[in-house]
Amino acid sequence: MLQITELSKRYGSVRALDGATFSARRGRLVGFLGPNGAGKTTTMRCVFGLATPDSGEVRWEGRLIDPRVRLRFGYMPEQRGLYPRMRVAEQLSYFAQHHGLSRAESRTRTGEWLERFGLADRAKAKLESLSHGNQQRVQLATALVHDPELLVLDEPFSGLDPIGIATMAAVLRERAQAGVGVVFSSHQLDLVEEVCEDVVIISRGQVVAEGAIDELKARSGRRHLEVEVAGTGGRWLEGVADHTVLERAGDRVKLLVGEAVNLDGLLAAARAAGDVRRFSYEPPKLSELFMDAVTAAQPSAQPVEHRAAPTAAAAGARDADADPAEVSR
Amino acid sequence: MSRWRAIRLVAGREIVERGRSRGYVLSLAFTVILMLVGFIVPALLVGPVTETRLALVADTPTALEEQLATTADVLGEDLVLSRVPDRQAAEAELQDGSIDAALSVPPDLSSPGEIIVLEDIPGPLQAVISQAVIAARAGPAASEPPLLVALAPPSAEDATQLIFANAGIILMFIGIFSYGSWVLTGVVEEKQSRVVEVILSTVRPRDLLMGKVLGIGLLALAQLVILVAVGIGVSQLLGRFALPATTVGAVVQLITWFILGFAFYATAMGFLGALASRPEEASIASMPLTLTATTAYILSIVVVTGEPDGVLARVMTFFPPAAPMVVPLRTALGAIEPWEIVLSIALMIVAIWFLFSVGARVYSGAVLQTGGRIRLRDAWRASR
Repeated sequence: MLQITELSKRYGSVRALDGATFSARRGRLVGFLGPNGAGKTTTMRCVFGLATPDSGEVRWEGRLIDPRVRLRFGYMPEQRGLYPRMRVAEQLSYFAQHHGLSRAESRTRTGEWLERFGLADRAKAKLESLSHGNQQRVQLATALVHDPELLVLDEPFSGLDPIGIATMAAVLRERAQAGVGVVFSSHQLDLVEEVCEDVVIISRGQVVAEGAIDELKARSGRRHLEVEVAGTGGRWLEGVADHTVLERAGDRVKLLVGEAVNLDGLLAAARAAGDVRRFSYEPPKLSELFMDAVTAAQPSAQPVEHRAAPTAAAAGARDADADPAEVSR
Repeated sequence: MSRWRAIRLVAGREIVERGRSRGYVLSLAFTVILMLVGFIVPALLVGPVTETRLALVADTPTALEEQLATTADVLGEDLVLSRVPDRQAAEAELQDGSIDAALSVPPDLSSPGEIIVLEDIPGPLQAVISQAVIAARAGPAASEPPLLVALAPPSAEDATQLIFANAGIILMFIGIFSYGSWVLTGVVEEKQSRVVEVILSTVRPRDLLMGKVLGIGLLALAQLVILVAVGIGVSQLLGRFALPATTVGAVVQLITWFILGFAFYATAMGFLGALASRPEEASIASMPLTLTATTAYILSIVVVTGEPDGVLARVMTFFPPAAPMVVPLRTALGAIEPWEIVLSIALMIVAIWFLFSVGARVYSGAVLQTGGRIRLRDAWRASR
């Protein structure tokens, strides 16, 4: 298990991490989420000793992490990078040896991973001669070649085409099933919801939500109700209590309701108003949990309504140089 | 994994990747060719030294003549013999260059006699004469070779030594800078391609820097050794000039100072390179270093050669950036005390150690930061 405890790190006046605490279990896919600048990359860099935290600690299997332990980790940084002019197989073998494998062993593993990613025929090619997708595969292979116990990947899905995404997700799942700890950051929340078991949400250097996605959903009092009543334009809602309208599109309305909502009452009201074409009651999506967690952690900021987005965009369009979200930060 | 293993891996990669790069192979081949041309063309113009002319003075026994011819034959030397009436005539012919050496041995072979030369005698000729005289005199008491007498005792040796020292310093300067700049650009490229973040997840920044300096340094050293060997080999084959007795010492000293100088400058280049984000910035970042080295180089050529014993020469001996060029030069000129060399080497090692400690810290602070040039102070603070 990866345990991160009270991790803090400042860069000058910027507080990148402010007591972040969470853990990631082996054998589970953990999505590490947060807005830009929340501290995801800094956390990962602290795990790999690339940044030294001002305070706090990082443990693996109960032990404080040192360079020796780190050899059993695999890392894929957000800014991809390998030696452009080095040959693919030699490159993989080089990084494998840096993780403590013998030369012979590193060659065997390199061959296996290249085979698996369909790159065996490009083993002797220089990295820069490979297509973008294949370079990404080599980058992933670099993190995997030494068969690590913990995989930490910063935005592994960004820039991948749908096939690449499927391959990446399959590899990560397979690794997790093999008992490896897998932590990756992503902004593609729908993808995370589909792939991950657990999530950690970080905002402004602090962890604001953590746990299994299903539990987080269950724990959230938030429920969504989508109702479509033909020909009403949603006016049937007038006089119905206990809800907030999230979206309104023609006859369809999306409501935010509490867990204790009286569904029968609502359905009756809708039926009374007209022909009910849709009445669906759903737990929140991960993206909604994310927004809740992040906005709740920013009491000073204006609560971000989903509908506020176009307004903000319009404001941004008016003042082309300044994104209001940036300015307020 | 031991740190040494990481350093070795990094160094090994540098050697393999760069050693087989077209750049290294071509530059090595080009320099060797340049050097060969530099030696061979003048030799061809001057004409090959195929025969040596030896004059026998006055009553040097005739028996020796045959002995000389036989020995020369055996040793494969082309010897042309002549007779001069007396020693004065021999000296005159030596001065005008019509003979290479004169041999004067008493008719009764009671002593091994003298070889008279202007400055110096080609090694093979001396061997021929000595063997012939020893053979002619025969007997157990006769193993003594003739005495070598030079009319203008060899200032030539000094000149050769100076040529070697100068050539050595030029090779050193070029070597340090061409290969030192590999360290510089190598660091910037790793930073720019972002591969450094992957490497540093397992390798300590200090070890990465050390491995780089070590690997590229070995390539540079290989080039230096090849060039020196080719230079000495070719000059011997063509018989251009006799090597001074101090050659071995000079070569050892040159290589020692090359290693020290390279370690010093390449380390400095490495961490200055880490302060840059793009190759264009690297040359600006390394400017102070380049200026220091160039100044030291010019001063050692101009000032130290002129006055190898002067105050400036002495001061520069103990100034690490200048020492690698000043000390070999002063040694070649015979104007340095042994304790000065020892102290200078000690100071150099301390300076390199210091540079590695400071450099590694700046390197680790700067190497993961991007976006324009990083100030030295910020890099220092950013690291642990």
